Amino acid sequence: MKIPFKIVLAGILLAALSFQTRAQDVIQITKQTTHLIPISITGFTGEAESVLEFDLSVLGMEIKEPADYIISGKDDGRVEGSLTRAGMNQPIFLRAYAGGNTRSQAHAFANDIVKELRQTPPIFQTKIAFRVGRGGSSEICVSDYDGYNPVVLTHDNALVEAPSWLPGGRGLLYTSWMNRNTVQIYEHNLATGARKVFAGYPGLNCSAEVSPDGQKVAMILSKSGSPNLYVCDLDGSHLKQLTHTRDEDSCPCWSSDSREICFVCRSGRAVLQKISVNGGQAVPVHVSGVYGNLTAPDWSPDGSKIAFTSGSGNFWICVVPAGGGEAEKLVAGEDPCWAPNSRTLIFTQRRNEKRVLCLLDAPTKHVKDVRQISGSCSEPSWAR
Amino acid sequence: MKNLSLFSVFIVSTALLASGCHRKPTSLTPIPPVEGPSSQTTGGVGSGAPLPSEPVVTATPEGIPISYAGKWGDLFNGVHNEDRDKFKADTVYFDFDKSAIKPSEEGKLQDVAAYFKGNTTDALIVEGHCDERGTEKYNLSLGERRALAVREYLANLQMDPQRIKTISYGFSRPVDPGHNEAAWKKNRRGELVLVTPPK
Repeated sequence: MKIPFKIVLAGILLAALSFQTRAQDVIQITKQTTHLIPISITGFTGEAESVLEFDLSVLGMEIKEPADYIISGKDDGRVEGSLTRAGMNQPIFLRAYAGGNTRSQAHAFANDIVKELRQTPPIFQTKIAFRVGRGGSSEICVSDYDGYNPVVLTHDNALVEAPSWLPGGRGLLYTSWMNRNTVQIYEHNLATGARKVFAGYPGLNCSAEVSPDGQKVAMILSKSGSPNLYVCDLDGSHLKQLTHTRDEDSCPCWSSDSREICFVCRSGRAVLQKISVNGGQAVPVHVSGVYGNLTAPDWSPDGSKIAFTSGSGNFWICVVPAGGGEAEKLVAGEDPCWAPNSRTLIFTQRRNEKRVLCLLDAPTKHVKDVRQISGSCSEPSWAR
Repeated sequence: MKNLSLFSVFIVSTALLASGCHRKPTSLTPIPPVEGPSSQTTGGVGSGAPLPSEPVVTATPEGIPISYAGKWGDLFNGVHNEDRDKFKADTVYFDFDKSAIKPSEEGKLQDVAAYFKGNTTDALIVEGHCDERGTEKYNLSLGERRALAVREYLANLQMDPQRIKTISYGFSRPVDPGHNEAAWKKNRRGELVLVTPPK
């Protein structure tokens, strides 16, 4: 039976229209992930306003007209506000925040906005640890993720490096030169300030990292005759040597399931390798698209990707799928560390004879400086 | 006669060392100090210290294990003097991103080994340093590898590896803060620090 032409034409037009609509939806989602979301923030003052602007900028949102989303509210007494999509009458949500102080309330509001617009877990009330260099020595500092409320933890007037968090943020491991002619790993309890030598074997003891499940510590020891990768239990017992080569190893970081360690081996040049926590053969992480030394890896908490540094002097933050593959260069800088959301990175840039900490939104490549304390800040570690 | 008893002491002490026994042998007579040019079969000067041609620890594929036992450990851990001038001219320099001892540096280490061969009281600290073109943890391991390379070279010249302590500083102690090759090549170094017991 012959179908009337008009109906065929209508059918074609309808199909084309619906296809057009679907395609536009696809473009919209991609654009939102890798492009900055334009927003407006109204009604807030002082700290509440500056916290909201900073936090949302860290997750790739910028104050720009015409805004896609409106954040409005007030902060007299307590922070309260709404998130509304442009053009809609009803807000997506309307909330008030109590307790803590203005900064923490504004951070909580920003967390809720990001959860809605980025579908990522909250990071704005988390902590970082880092090294701050002053003169010829350095100390370990802990602060809010944005650099506020810094507390300098050590006063040894010695060299100290490589802070890394203990489970639950209850303390830190770090590498210290405080005992004459030694390089040892210290364990520092944040609540009591008490500390002890965690690893003080002959030779180098450095670069400790606690596994995500809080059971084990990976570190670099040179007591075998060359810097090699070791693991032990959280109490320091059951030490096991994982690598046994002359080519020195460095920079251990854990897979999200605590079963593998990614690290750097300088065999010829610096390359990324992986090894099981139970030992065995180390295998390369194949990285294409970036060249030169690859160092300072950090495995994302969701297990999907590894951030690292490429280059020698001219450093770049790069990300590669955890199984290997094509790496993407994101921004100039070094020594990246993932936030708990597996999207934000904190890293170091060298500027004007000192080092500063920066935050990177990986999909949009948007960078925000952390609030700086005096001194040269580097080696950030994010409490996860 | 004297040579025969010394030779048998050599055999017995080697056997004891090989068996991992650390007790002072009770059946041996103390070895009197040997003067004059050193002979192949002697070495220890009555202290029970290992003979220079018999390292206490076995080298592994990755290098010579580190331990500071006995007399050298006591010296490193106890009161001692550190002299940075004695071997300043013997600072060993490295190529970028490398830890190999270059031919141009070998003569320095031969001079250093000769000093320790004629000396029985002093020890050595080797500090490993890098230039700024590495990330911090990477430079820490590279600095240590450089210090260990110096230690291995000296051990191959019959210096007791337990007499040599290594410490890495990564890039934290540059000689020259400049951002050019002239500065970088000065920073890629192994510094040799003489350790002497208190007078």
